[in-house]
Amino acid sequence: MRKRVSNLAESAGAVLFVQLAAAGAIAAPQPPTAAQLQTGQRVFAAQCGFCHGRDAMGGETGPDLTKSPLVRDEAAGERLRAVVRDGRVDKGMPSFRLTDAELSAVVAFVRDQKTKAESPGARRSVSAADLQTGDAEAGRRYFNGAGRCAQCHSPGGDLAGLATRLQGLQLLQRMLYPSNGRGAKVAVDLPSGDTVRGALAYRDEFTIALTDDAGRYRSWPTSQVKFTVENPLEAHAEQLGKYTDDEMHNVLAYLQTLR
Amino acid sequence: MFWRTCRRCVSALLVAAILALGPLAAAQSGADAWTTYHGDYTGQRHSALTQIGPANVHQITLAWAFATGQPAQIKATPILANGVVYVTSPDHVWAVDARSGHQIWHYAYPANEGFHIGHRGVAVYKDSVFFTTPDAHLVALNANDGKVKWNVVIADAKKGYWSTNAPLLIRNHLLVGVAGDFDNLPGILTSVDPDTGRTQWVFYSTPPPGTPGSPSDGATGGQMWMTGTYDPQLNLVFVGTGNPTPVLNGPARAGDNRWTDSILAIDPDTGKLAWGFQATRHDTHDWDAAEVPVLVDGSFNGAPAKLVMQASRNGYFYVLDRTTGRSLLTKPFATANWATGIDQDGRPIPNPAKEPARDGRLVAPDESGGTNYRSPSFDPKSGLLLVSSHDAFGIYFFRPDHGAYGWAGADYGVFGKSALRAIDYRTGEIRWSHDLGEGASGAGVLTTESGLTFTGDTAGNVMALRTSDGATLWHSGIGRVGNSPITYLLDGRQYVLVGGGASLFAWALPESR
Repeated sequence: MRKRVSNLAESAGAVLFVQLAAAGAIAAPQPPTAAQLQTGQRVFAAQCGFCHGRDAMGGETGPDLTKSPLVRDEAAGERLRAVVRDGRVDKGMPSFRLTDAELSAVVAFVRDQKTKAESPGARRSVSAADLQTGDAEAGRRYFNGAGRCAQCHSPGGDLAGLATRLQGLQLLQRMLYPSNGRGAKVAVDLPSGDTVRGALAYRDEFTIALTDDAGRYRSWPTSQVKFTVENPLEAHAEQLGKYTDDEMHNVLAYLQTLR
Repeated sequence: MFWRTCRRCVSALLVAAILALGPLAAAQSGADAWTTYHGDYTGQRHSALTQIGPANVHQITLAWAFATGQPAQIKATPILANGVVYVTSPDHVWAVDARSGHQIWHYAYPANEGFHIGHRGVAVYKDSVFFTTPDAHLVALNANDGKVKWNVVIADAKKGYWSTNAPLLIRNHLLVGVAGDFDNLPGILTSVDPDTGRTQWVFYSTPPPGTPGSPSDGATGGQMWMTGTYDPQLNLVFVGTGNPTPVLNGPARAGDNRWTDSILAIDPDTGKLAWGFQATRHDTHDWDAAEVPVLVDGSFNGAPAKLVMQASRNGYFYVLDRTTGRSLLTKPFATANWATGIDQDGRPIPNPAKEPARDGRLVAPDESGGTNYRSPSFDPKSGLLLVSSHDAFGIYFFRPDHGAYGWAGADYGVFGKSALRAIDYRTGEIRWSHDLGEGASGAGVLTTESGLTFTGDTAGNVMALRTSDGATLWHSGIGRVGNSPITYLLDGRQYVLVGGGASLFAWALPESR
């Protein structure tokens, strides 16, 4: 579930940002109540946080909404509501079924987060220009050599045009750990002798679940089946302990050449 | 044994305070209460109760559940006194019947603009329940009906202070901590008279404005937002201090930045510092050393020793002599790549290349740390400190125009996974490690004399493990566990209380008929 939504949202970040920037202006907002902000925070965390971060300041796939021109424009509440309500499904931003009150609360919450983000002691942001210290050629060598990136990725294949889709911090984050990238697969051996294969849908110590080719969710107690998980992200997690900072910057520089 | 000493001293001090209950009861057999944040002054969170043990824990069943009906996850340790459970979330206190789980009263603090990040729980004294608020007030409630007795300001919320703290009661001193690292604020711990709300003393971990010289090298911060521990024989409170501010801007405060990220020993009668030990010198990664300083009377290098130990947010485990603050052992328990070695005083030496920089630095642990506020537990029989650990990487940024106020930089978590680690306190070796899943678990740890360890994973399971080897003996999916479990005996029945999501669950063996 989460995986699917994330995949949809994968390319939404920059798109939504542009969309918000292009949107116009309408009504003057009322000052939000504490209860409204609390509702907004709850709804936002539940519905929006997986892409935009729980604090609306940017997440794994969605942009920092506190920097969005649409959020900055106090009169643009209706446009913001429309984007949330209708989504940009073709671009990867899902639509959300929220009540009017919830929508208002989410808008109020995001605006409040923007105010907080602009307060003197708040967290700062990172610009793409900050990240240009790497050596692209050294990055290419690392990609094909010690980094073992080429074992799964190719500049002419899955990464073709990558730098036109992702830039700056988002690209760096995706490079280090693309949590919405290729999903894990699992093969579950049932006591009957059958093997069921699918996309890993859930896993904890006690339950293993997959989504099969028909889109059906199936789960089993881990104590009653044998299973094998093939998770391409494990290589990314392992690499975090191996990168030097220079290597990280070099690979980023190389990926930035994939336009 | 240390707790026995504690019991004698403290019983005399608090027996009147906690009505008919033994104040450190939770750590002793026959315990029928959990009257203070850690259960007792040691911070061991180890119960002598043995009704539930490895042989029967698979039979425990839900005695009751209490849903707060609020969105906030329960991060508080429930307090049990006189058959009543007190549990909190920001702005809310509930008194719940410990036998049935039904609500006795609910107190809602008026709407306020304080930081609603979490809440750790209440303190109880005589017929009062003490509650800190997001806007850094301390409220005394009548334990019988939840009505406000008094409400005092602990710190100025307009300046950026807030409080999540479960106060620590020592005789007639109620120690209240605050937090606030989005602003450059001195670290303060306040002692309040529990009868009147009057301030007795204020301890500063970093100098207040107007202090001559700069013992902190220009740093503010070092907030004491977690509940401390106490040794009655030494008459010392042990408390961890938070990160320096500005948070990620190191050049603005060149030097060690005492006493941020430190374990401090403080006289509770005067508020004077006895000694300090810095877990992280010159921290630039938000690694509060606020985690519980656990007190153990054990042996070290073959000799009896009065110890304080901490699994710290920076990924290192520390053992100190608690009479002097001298380091006995420093060893990583979670992934850490930020130090070049350990100095002669037992402090890791920060690698300047891992300070936040314009182009980013890949650092372990991430901001949420190798562990965090979730409590560890010490099992005296095995000598193991059970710590919910987090192996995680983050990227840290700072450039001069981020300024020197508040966060003063940016950082982002990349990836992390959790494990419950059993640390042998004599060596720092990890005796066993039990995977808890991807992400950070919010669950603390409880051990019992029967050899059980209760905690939660990152997926929403509460589980009981065998303390000797970490094997899973029981579990239940109750939603993400965000607090530290407690246990108590009531009417001859042992209960284990744990928060899952915004509800509290009470587990016990089936009632015999």
